[in-house]
Amino acid sequence: MEVKDLMAHRPVVLGRYVAYWLNRSPRRALHSMSYYKFAAKMIGSSKRVLDVGCGEGLGTWLLAAECGYARGLDFDQQSIETARGNWDDPRIAFGSENFLETDMGTWDALVSFDVVEHIQPANVAAFWERTAACLAHDGVAIVGTPNITSTPYASPIAHLGRSNLYSGERLETEMRRYFEHVFMFAGNDEVVHTGYLPMAHYLISVGCRKRG
Amino acid sequence: MSPGNIREQDLWEQVTRMLGNGRIVLGQHWSYNVHNDPKRLAFVLSRYKFAAKMACKGRRVLELGCSEGLGAPILSEFADRYTGIDLDSEAVAAAVANWQDDRCTFVVGDFLGRQLGTFDSIVSLDVIEHIDPAREPLFFDTIRQNLDTDGICVIGTPNLTSAPYASAASQQGHVNLFDAGRLRRVMEQVFHNVFLFGMNDEVVHTGFSPMAHYLLAVGCYRRKDPL
Repeated sequence: MEVKDLMAHRPVVLGRYVAYWLNRSPRRALHSMSYYKFAAKMIGSSKRVLDVGCGEGLGTWLLAAECGYARGLDFDQQSIETARGNWDDPRIAFGSENFLETDMGTWDALVSFDVVEHIQPANVAAFWERTAACLAHDGVAIVGTPNITSTPYASPIAHLGRSNLYSGERLETEMRRYFEHVFMFAGNDEVVHTGYLPMAHYLISVGCRKRG
Repeated sequence: MSPGNIREQDLWEQVTRMLGNGRIVLGQHWSYNVHNDPKRLAFVLSRYKFAAKMACKGRRVLELGCSEGLGAPILSEFADRYTGIDLDSEAVAAAVANWQDDRCTFVVGDFLGRQLGTFDSIVSLDVIEHIDPAREPLFFDTIRQNLDTDGICVIGTPNLTSAPYASAASQQGHVNLFDAGRLRRVMEQVFHNVFLFGMNDEVVHTGFSPMAHYLLAVGCYRRKDPL
């Protein structure tokens, strides 16, 4: 009884994306939270973080709790409403701006998981320019995306809309256009490592010291 | 000859002919480790691989405290060139004998306060815990003076929290142990961006740092003036 009292009751509602993961491919939720944890550890504490393509905000909350403040951004209005319904806390906020069209101000870190592979080729340069533009001089960008070498194993729904898939080499090359320092990591399931990139299921690049 | 007639030994001899005839004689320190605690070889090579992935491809690399040069083949594999320095002249002699590569240079001597050139990356593993705390500022001055403005630095050291499990010999030599918080703070005095990792055995991760056996810090974007 006492333990239950300590827990209060603030139910978390999972919306259609996370519910789909948990119903169809529950490990996907684990992988996503692991990559967010990695990002949080790279960013450190007492930082303001922008989470681009935050979906329902589960990862945004991890960033907020670990780093100090996080603002989630997603053009999917329904996901943002799910996110807002779950957290009433000064460390977290959400918005439904379109990242490619909005000046987001200046941040200590930007996190973007599973976004860049959905960017239309004509907008890829704009995506990177916006990424660099919203960071402070010592800001850190963490961009994660499925490896193009994992495409044969992707489910039809995951495959849909991924018109801009990356190899490790291409991700590093494009990050280096905007950042002096780029550190490449590999994700296989929930494990983040520095192994041979063509065999990585997922790619995570960490960039800092933006150019220009 | 039909495939069924290939003798396994003939096939294997073709493989061995491709190997050349290399020979490496480990020095005193690493021979001792291999005899007494061979898994340490895995841990140390894993630290070097991590440093190589973070900081060495296409770069001029300096290793402070290279000992017998066991890190040289990994750190230099994709590097532009590699320089290793160590106080221990016998260890460096083993390094010179074993790693004969035009891109690798080994130096005997005390690196503290010494200008060895200008480097894109500095790697120093299992060194800072042996530096007298009074000389620690000189250690970081040495990094600053040898590192190019866009350089990257990788420092590895045992976690203070693992000290109770260290051997008597290790405990004797470790006069300046760090926890993750202090390692981050000293690195942030030199670099705008510091990324901290933990290691348990050969696995590098970003887990709860007090339970990491070993700590690795990657620093970049050197400050114009130290904090």
